[in-house]
Amino acid sequence: MSYFEQREPPKREDRLQARIAFGGTLCGLADKTRGCCLDDRERGFTQGSICLLLPGLAMLNSLPDSVVLLHGAIGCGACSHSQNANVRAGSNLRRGKVKDALWLSTALSETDVISGGEVKLEEAIREVDRRYRPSSIIVAAGCVPGIIGDDIDGVAARLQPQVSAKILPVHCEGFKTKIWATAYDAVYHAIGRNLLDEPREYEQFLQDEFAELKEKHMLSRTVNLMNVSSMGRVDELELSRLLRSLGLEVNIFPVFAHPEEMYKVTRAAVSISTCPTHDDYFLKHLEEKYGIPYIIRHMPIGIDNTSLWIRDVAAFFGLEEQAEKLIAEEVRELQNALEEFKPLFKGKKVFVSAGEIRALANGQLLRELGFEVAGIRSFHHDEYAEAEYEKLAAGNRDFVFNIANAQPFEEVNMLKRTKPDLFLGHWCGNATASKLGIATHVIYNTGLSYIGYQGVYELARRLYRQLKNPLFNKRLSRYVPLPYTDRWYEADPFKYIKTIGGEGVE
Amino acid sequence: MLSKFIERPRYLCALGGAMAAATALPETVPVLHAASGCAGNITWAQNGGSGLQVGGYCGGLSVPSSNVQEREVVFGGSERLREQIRNTLEVVAGELYFVLTGCVTEVIGDDVRAVVSEFRDAGVDIIFAETGGFNGNSYHGYDLVLQSLFRNYVRHGVEKIKGRVNLWGIAPFMDVFWRGNLAGLRLLLEKLGLEVNTFFTAGDTLAGIKQAGAAELNIIVSDVYGVEAAKACEEVHGIPYIIVPPPIGPAATDDFLRQVGAALSLDIFLVEELIEQENKLYYHYLETLIDCYNDLDLQRYAVVVGDANYSVSVAKFLSDDVGWLPEFVVCTDQLEEEQQPQLAHRLSGLKSGLQPALVFETDTSEILGHFNRYWPRNRSQKYYNAFSPAFVVGSSLDRELAQSLGVLHLSVSFPVANRAVLDRGYTGYSGGLHLIEDLFSAVVAGR
Repeated sequence: MSYFEQREPPKREDRLQARIAFGGTLCGLADKTRGCCLDDRERGFTQGSICLLLPGLAMLNSLPDSVVLLHGAIGCGACSHSQNANVRAGSNLRRGKVKDALWLSTALSETDVISGGEVKLEEAIREVDRRYRPSSIIVAAGCVPGIIGDDIDGVAARLQPQVSAKILPVHCEGFKTKIWATAYDAVYHAIGRNLLDEPREYEQFLQDEFAELKEKHMLSRTVNLMNVSSMGRVDELELSRLLRSLGLEVNIFPVFAHPEEMYKVTRAAVSISTCPTHDDYFLKHLEEKYGIPYIIRHMPIGIDNTSLWIRDVAAFFGLEEQAEKLIAEEVRELQNALEEFKPLFKGKKVFVSAGEIRALANGQLLRELGFEVAGIRSFHHDEYAEAEYEKLAAGNRDFVFNIANAQPFEEVNMLKRTKPDLFLGHWCGNATASKLGIATHVIYNTGLSYIGYQGVYELARRLYRQLKNPLFNKRLSRYVPLPYTDRWYEADPFKYIKTIGGEGVE
Repeated sequence: MLSKFIERPRYLCALGGAMAAATALPETVPVLHAASGCAGNITWAQNGGSGLQVGGYCGGLSVPSSNVQEREVVFGGSERLREQIRNTLEVVAGELYFVLTGCVTEVIGDDVRAVVSEFRDAGVDIIFAETGGFNGNSYHGYDLVLQSLFRNYVRHGVEKIKGRVNLWGIAPFMDVFWRGNLAGLRLLLEKLGLEVNTFFTAGDTLAGIKQAGAAELNIIVSDVYGVEAAKACEEVHGIPYIIVPPPIGPAATDDFLRQVGAALSLDIFLVEELIEQENKLYYHYLETLIDCYNDLDLQRYAVVVGDANYSVSVAKFLSDDVGWLPEFVVCTDQLEEEQQPQLAHRLSGLKSGLQPALVFETDTSEILGHFNRYWPRNRSQKYYNAFSPAFVVGSSLDRELAQSLGVLHLSVSFPVANRAVLDRGYTGYSGGLHLIEDLFSAVVAGR
């Protein structure tokens, strides 16, 4: 039975044997994963992190004409206050109008915990439909309904005939999975089950054969460009530019896609992922159910990776020759433009922390710019990253490698040892390096350019500026303390990683 | 309250307020006993709502958290908490450890008290609060942190010391101007010769907090936030309290000082002398604004939208000091019905004689409808007494309202996504000057 026929998608620990705890070197990881997956480990000391609700909401809040109804305690979904900036800017860039995200909370109380939250949810859905008249009502469940046993799918099914909006139950119960990338599956699952039906076509009394042919031709050259909110508009435009240079049409999906137009994703010639962590769950579904093949291999971050990404697409359409011309010209132009920055980058040590593929691809990119990779941390590990590891392993392999769902205590320990010149970390993930006085730059921000050839240049330009004047961090480090004990800095950074149920590996 | 949902809540859960408060305490390390996403969700909310302030000494994603999973939901999380605290003591340096629970660990019923007691018995300064998100919003969480401090950390049975007071009612990160607001009031009271503990400012210490039981008065600068803690403190430490809304600008601050003076039986001349001095200073600065205030016609109608503190205090300041017309005031908190008259009362005796409409509405998109019912729209009248020129003082979510009304806007109440706030405060006399600077800067931004 297809996953999409079940109410909830499986968690990634089960589906992909995804893991969140490892510390060592790249060679060490290669040994561990060769022939089998990394054993499931955990930590005896942990710091807070995010859950699947956050990346889930980053996507869901972007959908126009939709209301996100958080079913949970009142704090769940408060991250939307930050994500709203992306919704505002993103709406403006794509639709010419600044618009706030619209998220609501059923604000479950102690009484609801005891007596169940289904009635409250039902009433809320009815009121949302009446008050906002949205195209879709997204019911995102947090931890509490997951524990008290609210059946959000049952409620949605019961109410669907009574409301005009499409109801989408999305399972974001944070305690159920350690792998927040499960969020992509959860959102895709809801979209796949609810929004992909073609609207009823009206019979054409006058047949326009030419228009039909034109549409058919257009669709045969249309690609689904998947974006789960890891790219801002500027990055979408860069990839669209490259794809259009090959004569292709681009359908960006699912962020900022109107629910009523989502069915178009089932008509394209091929789907292209920009990150193997994001889309495999949905792309397999599109292939199985709608016969749309997919490409999911390289992340177009860095020069070589962007070229590989283009080649894969070109090969699908038999456009290899055109692609090579495009790549040669793009790379030549880019390399010339980068010359200005390279002397400052040469030999500088860099430490990278992000989602697995993004971290590894950026490691590659930074090498291309002349940096030396001193360490890489990724939020989790699964089989889809093997190709990226192989690319990195072709260069110097002797750097520290850590799989951790944030856990800055491990990071601080490694940074003290490796003393990098530059650190690239995720959203809310640069403060530790900043307090150490290391030059920093955010590795993900939907307002900035990271992707494609343009992304390489823009990232280089920003790193150049950070390195040219890192005094903000340097001055900080003198006066702003980090919260760790002296003995922690002397301990093994991976001291608290242990096999499940076992002792530390010290 | 019987709402079916809350639109774009302008608060987090109890854990969110508690984590923010605990990270704001001096040398304190919060330890979350919660699911892994709670800390991140709270951190993101601060990132987007707290005027670009995130974390602190051990905040953000540095906060130790037990990150309970399905296994703990099934088998219980006490053992995991024990392990987490033991290892936190090894890794994270703090003088006080503050265990805070989340929804998951409260629903499964972990005995946190028992685990924390084991460490207390071993001599660790560690306390806890039950801050599961379904218990209430972030202001409630803030209150619970203070209650726990008074019950479990502040030394019991110490002698009262004349001239010593505690002041609270301003929740860290939820009041985006918390540091400036607390420091401003602290400074002012110090000018009266008082020794002030405010818990969360750079001037506060754990030693000072431990001695908070020696105060002769607690001053709660909020009709809502921290009131339960005041009751707890009275019960445990026998300290009486007064409740005053946070004073912004001279009119409210004069009253504030007189109330504090009366409660402490301070020399009335001393109080009046300070009031006189501070007003002179305030108007010394304001003097140079007079020409432009007149020439640019800087008087405005205003809609004020905010939490229980800001809605009332800003409206009062606009009315009684700035000479504006804050005709329409919206409080966006979830208040019990019996709490509402108290706030309405605050707006009933304005010196301007204005009688603003006060609406209690949690849902941002409903506010425009309330306003339209209050101030009739122009029905193609040639002569129409418009709500103009006007200003919306609210949160960054109220920009759409300002746009609909075609008026200017300033964010002061959570969320404040569009301003950077560090030590700025609006309390007291100098706070009034700051708010005037910010309001009029917005008016003349295109000049």
